[in-house]
Amino acid sequence: MSRLEFLRYVTIGQYLARESIIHRLDPRFKLLAFGLIIVAITFSTTYLANVILVLMVVLLLILSKLPLGHTLRGLRPALPALAFLALFQVLFPPQTFGSANDCSVLLRWRFVELTSCTLQLILVSTARLVELFVLTSLLTFSTTTTELVHGTEGLLAPLQRVGFPAHELSLVVTIALRFVPTLALQMERLVKAQIARGADFGTSGRLGFIRAIRRLLPLLIPLFLISLRRSEALIVAMDARGYTGGRGRTRLRRLQARPADYLALVVVAAFCAATLYVDHASLDQSLVAWLRTLLRSLRGY
Amino acid sequence: METSQQTTTVLVRRIVVTAMMVAITVLLGLLPVGGFIPFPTGVNATTLHIPAIIGGILEGWLVGGLVGLFFGLFSLIRAATPIFKDPLVAIIPRLFIGVTAYFAYAGLKRFNQLVAVGVGAAVGTATNTILVLGLAVLRGYMSIEVASGVALAHGIPEIIVAVVITVSVVAAWRQISTRRQGSSV
Repeated sequence: MSRLEFLRYVTIGQYLARESIIHRLDPRFKLLAFGLIIVAITFSTTYLANVILVLMVVLLLILSKLPLGHTLRGLRPALPALAFLALFQVLFPPQTFGSANDCSVLLRWRFVELTSCTLQLILVSTARLVELFVLTSLLTFSTTTTELVHGTEGLLAPLQRVGFPAHELSLVVTIALRFVPTLALQMERLVKAQIARGADFGTSGRLGFIRAIRRLLPLLIPLFLISLRRSEALIVAMDARGYTGGRGRTRLRRLQARPADYLALVVVAAFCAATLYVDHASLDQSLVAWLRTLLRSLRGY
Repeated sequence: METSQQTTTVLVRRIVVTAMMVAITVLLGLLPVGGFIPFPTGVNATTLHIPAIIGGILEGWLVGGLVGLFFGLFSLIRAATPIFKDPLVAIIPRLFIGVTAYFAYAGLKRFNQLVAVGVGAAVGTATNTILVLGLAVLRGYMSIEVASGVALAHGIPEIIVAVVITVSVVAAWRQISTRRQGSSV
Protein backbone atom coordinates (compact mmCIF):
# COMPACT_ATOMS: atom_id res chain seq x y z
CA MET A 1 0.00 0.00 0.00
CA SER A 2 2.98 2.31 0.36
CA ARG A 3 2.72 2.94 -3.39
CA LEU A 4 -0.46 4.83 -2.58
CA GLU A 5 1.16 7.34 -0.26
CA PHE A 6 1.40 9.96 -2.95
CA LEU A 7 3.18 12.57 -0.86
CA ARG A 8 6.28 10.35 -1.11
CA TYR A 9 6.51 11.20 -4.80
CA VAL A 10 6.33 14.94 -4.26
CA THR A 11 10.03 15.53 -4.05
CA ILE A 12 10.36 19.20 -4.79
CA GLY A 13 11.67 21.49 -2.11
CA GLN A 14 13.68 19.00 -0.06
CA TYR A 15 15.28 21.63 2.10
CA LEU A 16 17.90 20.38 4.57
CA ALA A 17 18.51 22.96 7.28
CA ARG A 18 22.19 23.48 8.11
CA GLU A 19 24.27 26.33 9.49
CA SER A 20 26.53 26.99 6.53
CA ILE A 21 27.85 29.78 4.33
CA ILE A 22 25.95 28.37 1.35
CA HIS A 23 22.68 28.29 3.26
CA ARG A 24 23.12 31.89 4.39
CA LEU A 25 23.83 33.34 0.93
CA ASP A 26 21.31 35.79 -0.47
CA PRO A 27 19.19 33.67 -2.86
CA ARG A 28 19.61 36.20 -5.68
CA PHE A 29 23.39 35.93 -5.49
CA LYS A 30 23.20 32.17 -5.07
CA LEU A 31 21.11 31.84 -8.23
CA LEU A 32 23.48 34.09 -10.20
CA ALA A 33 26.52 32.16 -9.00
CA PHE A 34 24.87 28.85 -9.89
CA GLY A 35 24.03 30.20 -13.32
CA LEU A 36 27.69 31.10 -13.87
CA ILE A 37 28.86 27.66 -12.80
CA ILE A 38 26.31 26.02 -15.12
CA VAL A 39 27.64 28.12 -18.02
CA ALA A 40 31.19 27.01 -17.14
CA ILE A 41 30.07 23.35 -17.02
CA THR A 42 28.23 23.61 -20.34
CA PHE A 43 31.22 25.00 -22.20
CA SER A 44 34.03 22.97 -20.65
CA THR A 45 35.10 20.09 -22.85
CA THR A 46 38.61 19.23 -21.65
CA TYR A 47 39.65 16.80 -18.92
CA LEU A 48 41.50 19.33 -16.78
CA ALA A 49 38.62 21.83 -16.74
CA ASN A 50 36.20 19.09 -15.74
CA VAL A 51 38.49 17.84 -12.97
CA ILE A 52 38.55 21.41 -11.65
CA LEU A 53 34.76 21.66 -11.88
CA VAL A 54 34.18 18.34 -10.08
CA LEU A 55 36.52 19.49 -7.31
CA MET A 56 34.67 22.80 -7.19
CA VAL A 57 31.19 21.30 -6.75
CA VAL A 58 32.52 18.87 -4.12
CA LEU A 59 34.12 21.79 -2.30
CA LEU A 60 30.78 23.64 -2.40
CA LEU A 61 29.07 20.53 -1.05
CA ILE A 62 31.55 20.35 1.84
CA LEU A 63 31.11 24.07 2.52
CA SER A 64 27.34 23.60 2.68
CA LYS A 65 27.76 20.86 5.33
CA LEU A 66 25.33 18.66 3.43
CA PRO A 67 25.83 14.88 3.62
CA LEU A 68 27.98 13.82 0.66
CA GLY A 69 26.66 10.25 0.53
CA HIS A 70 23.03 11.29 0.65
CA THR A 71 23.50 13.72 -2.23
CA LEU A 72 25.43 11.30 -4.42
CA ARG A 73 22.95 8.48 -3.76
CA GLY A 74 20.46 10.30 -5.95
CA LEU A 75 22.77 9.64 -8.91
CA ARG A 76 22.32 5.87 -8.67
CA PRO A 77 19.17 5.61 -10.83
CA ALA A 78 20.98 7.46 -13.64
CA LEU A 79 23.86 4.96 -13.81
CA PRO A 80 22.28 2.34 -16.15
CA ALA A 81 21.22 5.06 -18.59
CA LEU A 82 24.73 6.48 -18.46
CA ALA A 83 26.32 3.09 -19.17
CA PHE A 84 23.92 2.52 -22.05
CA LEU A 85 24.69 5.94 -23.50
CA ALA A 86 28.44 5.26 -23.26
CA LEU A 87 28.02 1.92 -25.05
CA PHE A 88 25.95 3.62 -27.71
CA GLN A 89 28.62 6.26 -28.26
CA VAL A 90 31.32 3.61 -28.68
CA LEU A 91 29.25 1.63 -31.18
CA PHE A 92 28.05 4.65 -33.15
CA PRO A 93 30.63 7.40 -32.63
CA PRO A 94 28.88 10.76 -32.92
CA GLN A 95 30.47 14.04 -33.84
CA THR A 96 33.03 14.92 -31.23
CA PHE A 97 34.44 18.03 -29.67
CA GLY A 98 37.69 18.18 -31.62
CA SER A 99 38.02 17.77 -35.34
CA ALA A 100 38.17 14.15 -36.45
CA ASN A 101 41.84 14.23 -37.52
CA ASP A 102 43.36 14.57 -34.09
CA CYS A 103 41.60 11.52 -32.69
CA SER A 104 43.80 8.51 -32.14
CA VAL A 105 42.49 4.95 -31.98
CA LEU A 106 43.02 3.52 -28.51
CA LEU A 107 41.37 0.12 -28.88
CA ARG A 108 40.14 -1.89 -31.82
CA TRP A 109 38.00 -5.02 -31.64
CA ARG A 110 36.44 -6.32 -34.86
CA PHE A 111 34.49 -3.38 -36.26
CA VAL A 112 34.30 -1.44 -33.00
CA GLU A 113 36.97 1.09 -32.32
CA LEU A 114 37.44 3.35 -29.34
CA THR A 115 39.07 6.62 -30.27
CA SER A 116 40.49 9.15 -27.85
CA CYS A 117 37.73 11.56 -28.90
CA THR A 118 34.95 9.10 -28.05
CA LEU A 119 36.60 8.35 -24.71
CA GLN A 120 36.81 12.07 -24.00
CA LEU A 121 33.16 12.52 -24.95
CA ILE A 122 32.08 9.70 -22.61
CA LEU A 123 34.21 10.80 -19.67
CA VAL A 124 33.40 14.49 -20.05
CA SER A 125 29.64 13.92 -20.40
CA THR A 126 29.69 11.66 -17.32
CA ALA A 127 31.60 14.30 -15.38
CA ARG A 128 29.14 16.93 -16.60
CA LEU A 129 26.15 14.93 -15.43
CA VAL A 130 27.74 14.46 -11.99
CA GLU A 131 28.59 18.17 -11.75
CA LEU A 132 25.11 19.32 -12.79
CA PHE A 133 23.43 16.79 -10.55
CA VAL A 134 25.44 17.75 -7.46
CA LEU A 135 24.93 21.42 -8.23
CA THR A 136 21.14 21.25 -8.61
CA SER A 137 20.82 19.06 -5.49
CA LEU A 138 22.99 21.54 -3.64
CA LEU A 139 20.73 24.40 -4.68
CA THR A 140 17.46 22.70 -3.67
CA PHE A 141 18.91 21.23 -0.46
CA SER A 142 20.31 24.55 0.73
CA THR A 143 17.50 26.91 -0.36
CA THR A 144 13.84 26.86 0.61
CA THR A 145 11.32 27.15 -2.22
CA THR A 146 10.20 30.51 -0.83
CA GLU A 147 13.78 31.78 -1.02
CA LEU A 148 14.12 30.45 -4.56
CA VAL A 149 10.93 32.17 -5.70
CA HIS A 150 11.84 35.45 -4.00
CA GLY A 151 15.36 35.25 -5.40
CA THR A 152 14.08 34.76 -8.93
CA GLU A 153 11.63 37.59 -8.49
CA GLY A 154 14.43 39.82 -7.21
CA LEU A 155 16.59 38.99 -10.21
CA LEU A 156 13.75 39.69 -12.63
CA ALA A 157 12.67 42.88 -10.84
CA PRO A 158 14.60 45.25 -13.16
CA LEU A 159 12.56 43.85 -16.07
CA GLN A 160 9.39 44.91 -14.28
CA ARG A 161 10.02 48.50 -15.40
CA VAL A 162 9.51 47.46 -19.01
CA GLY A 163 6.28 45.69 -18.13
CA PHE A 164 7.55 42.18 -17.45
CA PRO A 165 5.20 40.68 -14.80
CA ALA A 166 7.94 39.33 -12.50
CA HIS A 167 5.85 39.58 -9.35
CA GLU A 168 2.80 37.92 -10.92
CA LEU A 169 4.84 35.05 -12.37
CA SER A 170 6.55 34.37 -9.05
CA LEU A 171 3.14 34.38 -7.37
CA VAL A 172 1.99 31.76 -9.90
CA VAL A 173 4.95 29.57 -8.94
CA THR A 174 4.34 30.09 -5.22
CA ILE A 175 0.66 29.15 -5.47
CA ALA A 176 1.42 26.17 -7.73
CA LEU A 177 4.07 24.81 -5.35
CA ARG A 178 1.74 25.40 -2.43
CA PHE A 179 -1.01 23.31 -4.00
CA VAL A 180 1.02 20.38 -5.34
CA PRO A 181 0.97 18.51 -1.98
CA THR A 182 -2.72 19.35 -1.43
CA LEU A 183 -3.64 18.02 -4.84
CA ALA A 184 -1.43 14.97 -4.24
CA LEU A 185 -3.51 14.11 -1.17
CA GLN A 186 -6.65 14.71 -3.21
CA MET A 187 -5.42 12.39 -5.94
CA GLU A 188 -4.56 9.77 -3.33
CA ARG A 189 -8.13 9.91 -2.07
CA LEU A 190 -9.50 9.59 -5.62
CA VAL A 191 -7.29 6.58 -6.36
CA LYS A 192 -8.26 4.88 -3.10
CA ALA A 193 -11.93 5.57 -3.78
CA GLN A 194 -11.58 3.91 -7.17
CA ILE A 195 -9.68 0.94 -5.71
CA ALA A 196 -12.42 0.51 -3.12
CA ARG A 197 -14.81 0.18 -6.05
CA GLY A 198 -12.69 -2.52 -7.62
CA ALA A 199 -10.42 -0.57 -9.96
CA ASP A 200 -6.94 -1.99 -10.51
CA PHE A 201 -4.11 0.49 -10.90
CA GLY A 202 -1.41 -2.15 -10.89
CA THR A 203 0.92 -2.41 -13.81
CA SER A 204 -1.08 -3.83 -16.63
CA GLY A 205 0.95 -4.71 -19.69
CA ARG A 206 1.61 -2.21 -22.41
CA LEU A 207 -1.10 -3.87 -24.49
CA GLY A 208 -3.83 -2.87 -22.07
CA PHE A 209 -3.52 0.78 -22.92
CA ILE A 210 -7.19 1.33 -23.71
CA ARG A 211 -8.09 0.03 -20.27
CA ALA A 212 -5.36 2.26 -18.80
CA ILE A 213 -6.92 5.30 -20.47
CA ARG A 214 -10.41 4.38 -19.27
CA ARG A 215 -9.15 4.01 -15.71
CA LEU A 216 -7.64 7.49 -15.85
CA LEU A 217 -10.90 9.28 -16.60
CA PRO A 218 -12.52 8.91 -13.13
CA LEU A 219 -9.26 10.28 -11.64
CA LEU A 220 -8.37 13.18 -13.91
CA ILE A 221 -11.82 14.67 -14.43
CA PRO A 222 -12.59 15.05 -10.68
CA LEU A 223 -9.02 16.25 -10.11
CA PHE A 224 -9.51 19.08 -12.59
CA LEU A 225 -12.96 19.99 -11.27
CA ILE A 226 -11.83 19.98 -7.63
CA SER A 227 -8.84 22.18 -8.40
CA LEU A 228 -11.00 24.59 -10.42
CA ARG A 229 -13.39 24.81 -7.47
CA ARG A 230 -10.44 25.47 -5.16
CA SER A 231 -9.21 28.23 -7.43
CA GLU A 232 -12.62 29.93 -7.32
CA ALA A 233 -12.38 29.93 -3.52
CA LEU A 234 -8.85 31.30 -3.67
CA ILE A 235 -9.86 34.04 -6.13
CA VAL A 236 -12.63 35.18 -3.79
CA ALA A 237 -10.26 35.03 -0.82
CA MET A 238 -7.59 37.10 -2.56
CA ASP A 239 -10.12 39.63 -3.83
CA ALA A 240 -11.68 39.94 -0.38
CA ARG A 241 -8.25 40.73 1.06
CA GLY A 242 -7.69 43.44 -1.52
CA TYR A 243 -4.92 41.87 -3.59
CA THR A 244 -4.18 44.23 -6.46
CA GLY A 245 -1.01 42.87 -8.00
CA GLY A 246 2.62 43.67 -7.36
CA ARG A 247 2.62 47.46 -7.53
CA GLY A 248 3.38 49.11 -4.20
CA ARG A 249 3.47 45.80 -2.40
CA THR A 250 5.86 45.39 0.52
CA ARG A 251 7.36 42.25 1.99
CA LEU A 252 7.64 40.73 5.41
CA ARG A 253 11.22 39.72 4.75
CA ARG A 254 13.33 41.89 2.52
CA LEU A 255 16.34 40.48 0.75
CA GLN A 256 19.39 42.49 1.68
CA ALA A 257 22.75 41.78 0.11
CA ARG A 258 25.73 41.73 2.46
CA PRO A 259 29.40 42.20 1.48
CA ALA A 260 29.85 38.43 1.81
CA ASP A 261 27.28 37.87 -0.95
CA TYR A 262 29.16 40.13 -3.37
CA LEU A 263 32.43 38.47 -2.40
CA ALA A 264 31.00 35.00 -3.05
CA LEU A 265 29.72 36.06 -6.46
CA VAL A 266 33.09 37.59 -7.40
CA VAL A 267 34.98 34.49 -6.27
CA VAL A 268 32.68 32.18 -8.22
CA ALA A 269 32.86 34.41 -11.32
CA ALA A 270 36.67 34.49 -11.17
CA PHE A 271 36.76 30.73 -10.70
CA CYS A 272 34.46 30.13 -13.68
CA ALA A 273 36.45 32.50 -15.87
CA ALA A 274 39.65 30.70 -14.89
CA THR A 275 38.09 27.31 -15.67
CA LEU A 276 36.89 28.50 -19.06
CA TYR A 277 40.37 29.91 -19.78
CA VAL A 278 41.96 26.58 -18.82
CA ASP A 279 39.47 24.85 -21.08
CA HIS A 280 39.87 27.24 -23.98
CA ALA A 281 43.66 27.29 -23.91
CA SER A 282 43.76 23.46 -23.67
CA LEU A 283 46.19 23.80 -20.80
CA ASP A 284 45.83 20.09 -20.09
CA GLN A 285 47.51 19.24 -23.38
CA SER A 286 50.34 21.66 -22.77
CA LEU A 287 50.62 20.23 -19.25
CA VAL A 288 50.92 16.72 -20.66
CA ALA A 289 53.46 17.93 -23.22
CA TRP A 290 55.45 19.66 -20.51
CA LEU A 291 55.43 16.51 -18.32
CA ARG A 292 56.60 14.47 -21.31
CA THR A 293 59.55 16.76 -22.03
CA LEU A 294 60.37 16.76 -18.32
CA LEU A 295 60.37 12.93 -18.25
CA ARG A 296 62.50 12.79 -21.41
CA SER A 297 65.04 15.21 -20.03
CA LEU A 298 65.15 13.25 -16.78
CA ARG A 299 65.77 10.04 -18.73
CA GLY A 300 68.64 11.81 -20.48
CA TYR A 301 70.52 12.22 -17.21
CA MET B 1 -18.23 31.46 -15.74
CA GLU B 2 -17.48 34.59 -17.73
CA THR B 3 -14.66 36.62 -16.30
CA SER B 4 -15.67 39.67 -14.32
CA GLN B 5 -15.28 43.21 -15.60
CA GLN B 6 -12.94 44.54 -12.95
CA THR B 7 -9.30 44.37 -14.00
CA THR B 8 -7.97 43.24 -10.63
CA THR B 9 -10.33 40.28 -10.58
CA VAL B 10 -9.23 39.30 -14.05
CA LEU B 11 -5.62 39.52 -12.91
CA VAL B 12 -6.25 37.44 -9.78
CA ARG B 13 -8.27 34.92 -11.78
CA ARG B 14 -5.53 34.52 -14.36
CA ILE B 15 -2.82 34.12 -11.71
CA VAL B 16 -4.79 31.57 -9.69
CA VAL B 17 -6.03 29.44 -12.58
CA THR B 18 -2.57 29.40 -14.16
CA ALA B 19 -1.09 28.32 -10.83
CA MET B 20 -3.65 25.54 -10.36
CA MET B 21 -3.10 24.15 -13.83
CA VAL B 22 0.68 24.28 -13.31
CA ALA B 23 0.19 22.44 -10.01
CA ILE B 24 -1.77 19.69 -11.80
CA THR B 25 0.91 19.44 -14.49
CA VAL B 26 3.66 19.08 -11.89
CA LEU B 27 1.60 16.60 -9.87
CA LEU B 28 0.81 14.38 -12.87
CA GLY B 29 4.49 14.45 -13.79
CA LEU B 30 5.56 13.31 -10.32
CA LEU B 31 2.95 10.66 -9.50
CA PRO B 32 3.14 7.07 -10.76
CA VAL B 33 -0.52 7.26 -11.85
CA GLY B 34 -2.08 9.71 -14.26
CA GLY B 35 0.67 11.46 -16.19
CA PHE B 36 1.85 8.71 -18.51
CA ILE B 37 0.03 5.85 -20.18
CA PRO B 38 2.26 2.90 -21.16
CA PHE B 39 1.85 2.14 -24.84
CA PRO B 40 2.63 -0.97 -26.85
CA THR B 41 5.29 0.99 -28.75
CA GLY B 42 7.46 1.14 -25.63
CA VAL B 43 7.13 4.89 -25.23
CA ASN B 44 4.53 6.49 -22.97
CA ALA B 45 1.65 8.64 -24.11
CA THR B 46 1.26 11.72 -21.95
CA THR B 47 -1.59 13.65 -20.37
CA LEU B 48 0.66 16.43 -19.06
CA HIS B 49 -0.36 18.89 -21.76
CA ILE B 50 -4.07 18.76 -20.84
CA PRO B 51 -3.87 21.43 -18.08
CA ALA B 52 -2.44 23.86 -20.64
CA ILE B 53 -5.38 23.14 -22.96
CA ILE B 54 -7.99 23.51 -20.21
CA GLY B 55 -6.33 26.69 -18.95
CA GLY B 56 -6.35 28.11 -22.47
CA ILE B 57 -9.99 27.24 -23.17
CA LEU B 58 -11.30 28.46 -19.80
CA GLU B 59 -9.24 31.61 -19.31
CA GLY B 60 -7.82 32.60 -22.66
CA TRP B 61 -4.60 32.27 -24.65
CA LEU B 62 -2.39 34.04 -22.10
CA VAL B 63 -3.17 31.56 -19.32
CA GLY B 64 -2.80 28.65 -21.77
CA GLY B 65 0.57 29.93 -22.93
CA LEU B 66 1.84 30.48 -19.38
CA VAL B 67 0.79 27.01 -18.23
CA GLY B 68 2.63 25.69 -21.29
CA LEU B 69 5.74 27.72 -20.36
CA PHE B 70 5.87 26.21 -16.89
CA PHE B 71 5.12 22.75 -18.31
CA GLY B 72 8.14 23.21 -20.58
CA LEU B 73 10.38 24.36 -17.73
CA PHE B 74 9.23 21.42 -15.61
CA SER B 75 9.91 18.88 -18.33
CA LEU B 76 13.33 20.49 -18.92
CA ILE B 77 14.23 20.07 -15.24
CA ARG B 78 12.90 16.53 -14.92
CA ALA B 79 14.13 15.32 -18.31
CA ALA B 80 15.99 12.01 -18.38
CA THR B 81 16.49 11.94 -22.15
CA PRO B 82 18.75 14.22 -24.19
CA ILE B 83 15.78 15.32 -26.35
CA PHE B 84 14.04 17.11 -23.50
CA LYS B 85 17.29 18.37 -21.95
CA ASP B 86 17.37 20.65 -24.98
CA PRO B 87 15.55 23.85 -23.94
CA LEU B 88 14.42 24.45 -27.53
CA VAL B 89 12.54 21.16 -27.72
CA ALA B 90 11.31 21.21 -24.13
CA ILE B 91 9.93 24.73 -23.90
CA ILE B 92 9.07 26.31 -27.26
CA PRO B 93 6.46 23.73 -28.43
CA ARG B 94 4.72 23.85 -25.08
CA LEU B 95 4.17 27.61 -25.26
CA PHE B 96 1.77 27.11 -28.13
CA ILE B 97 -0.41 24.27 -26.76
CA GLY B 98 -2.84 26.47 -24.85
CA VAL B 99 -2.65 29.28 -27.40
CA THR B 100 -3.71 27.22 -30.43
CA ALA B 101 -6.28 25.38 -28.29
CA TYR B 102 -7.82 28.71 -27.30
CA PHE B 103 -7.98 30.12 -30.82
CA ALA B 104 -9.47 26.93 -32.24
CA TYR B 105 -12.07 27.01 -29.48
CA ALA B 106 -12.78 30.74 -29.83
CA GLY B 107 -13.24 30.43 -33.56
CA LEU B 108 -15.82 27.66 -33.29
CA LYS B 109 -17.68 28.39 -30.08
CA ARG B 110 -20.40 30.37 -31.84
CA PHE B 111 -21.57 27.21 -33.58
CA ASN B 112 -21.41 24.64 -30.83
CA GLN B 113 -19.70 24.93 -27.45
CA LEU B 114 -18.92 21.23 -27.00
CA VAL B 115 -17.61 20.72 -30.51
CA ALA B 116 -15.47 23.85 -30.13
CA VAL B 117 -13.97 22.52 -26.88
CA GLY B 118 -13.26 19.14 -28.48
CA VAL B 119 -11.62 20.71 -31.53
CA GLY B 120 -9.61 23.01 -29.25
CA ALA B 121 -8.30 20.02 -27.29
CA ALA B 122 -7.42 18.15 -30.49
CA VAL B 123 -5.64 21.18 -31.97
CA GLY B 124 -3.72 21.81 -28.73
CA THR B 125 -2.54 18.21 -28.53
CA ALA B 126 -1.59 18.15 -32.21
CA THR B 127 0.40 21.36 -31.66
CA ASN B 128 2.39 19.67 -28.91
CA THR B 129 3.04 16.49 -30.92
CA ILE B 130 3.91 18.20 -34.18
CA LEU B 131 6.13 20.93 -32.72
CA VAL B 132 8.02 18.62 -30.33
CA LEU B 133 8.72 16.04 -33.02
CA GLY B 134 9.37 18.71 -35.66
CA LEU B 135 11.98 20.42 -33.49
CA ALA B 136 13.45 17.03 -32.53
CA VAL B 137 13.96 16.34 -36.25
CA LEU B 138 15.36 19.82 -36.88
CA ARG B 139 17.81 19.51 -33.99
CA GLY B 140 18.87 16.10 -35.28
CA TYR B 141 17.64 13.82 -32.50
CA MET B 142 15.37 11.79 -34.78
CA SER B 143 14.99 10.98 -38.42
CA ILE B 144 11.81 12.17 -40.07
CA GLU B 145 10.56 8.60 -40.59
CA VAL B 146 10.85 7.77 -36.88
CA ALA B 147 9.19 11.05 -35.97
CA SER B 148 6.19 10.52 -38.23
CA GLY B 149 5.79 6.99 -36.86
CA VAL B 150 5.79 8.33 -33.31
CA ALA B 151 3.37 11.07 -34.36
CA LEU B 152 0.85 8.54 -35.64
CA ALA B 153 1.29 6.00 -32.84
CA HIS B 154 1.10 8.60 -30.07
CA GLY B 155 -0.54 11.65 -31.50
CA ILE B 156 -3.85 9.96 -32.22
CA PRO B 157 -4.36 8.26 -28.81
CA GLU B 158 -3.14 11.41 -27.05
CA ILE B 159 -5.68 13.45 -29.00
CA ILE B 160 -8.48 11.05 -28.01
CA VAL B 161 -7.54 11.16 -24.31
CA ALA B 162 -7.20 14.95 -24.36
CA VAL B 163 -10.55 15.45 -26.13
CA VAL B 164 -12.44 13.17 -23.75
CA ILE B 165 -10.96 14.72 -20.61
CA THR B 166 -11.16 18.34 -21.77
CA VAL B 167 -14.74 18.07 -23.01
CA SER B 168 -15.86 16.36 -19.77
CA VAL B 169 -14.11 18.90 -17.56
CA VAL B 170 -15.19 22.01 -19.46
CA ALA B 171 -18.78 20.78 -19.89
CA ALA B 172 -19.08 19.97 -16.19
CA TRP B 173 -17.43 23.23 -15.13
CA ARG B 174 -19.40 25.54 -17.39
CA GLN B 175 -22.50 23.37 -16.96
CA ILE B 176 -22.95 23.02 -20.67
CA SER B 177 -25.87 20.66 -21.08
CA THR B 178 -25.13 17.39 -22.76
CA ARG B 179 -27.98 15.24 -23.87
CA ARG B 180 -27.33 12.76 -21.10
CA GLN B 181 -28.91 13.66 -17.82
CA GLY B 182 -27.57 12.81 -14.41
CA SER B 183 -23.90 12.13 -13.92
CA SER B 184 -22.05 12.87 -17.11
CA VAL B 185 -18.78 11.57 -15.66
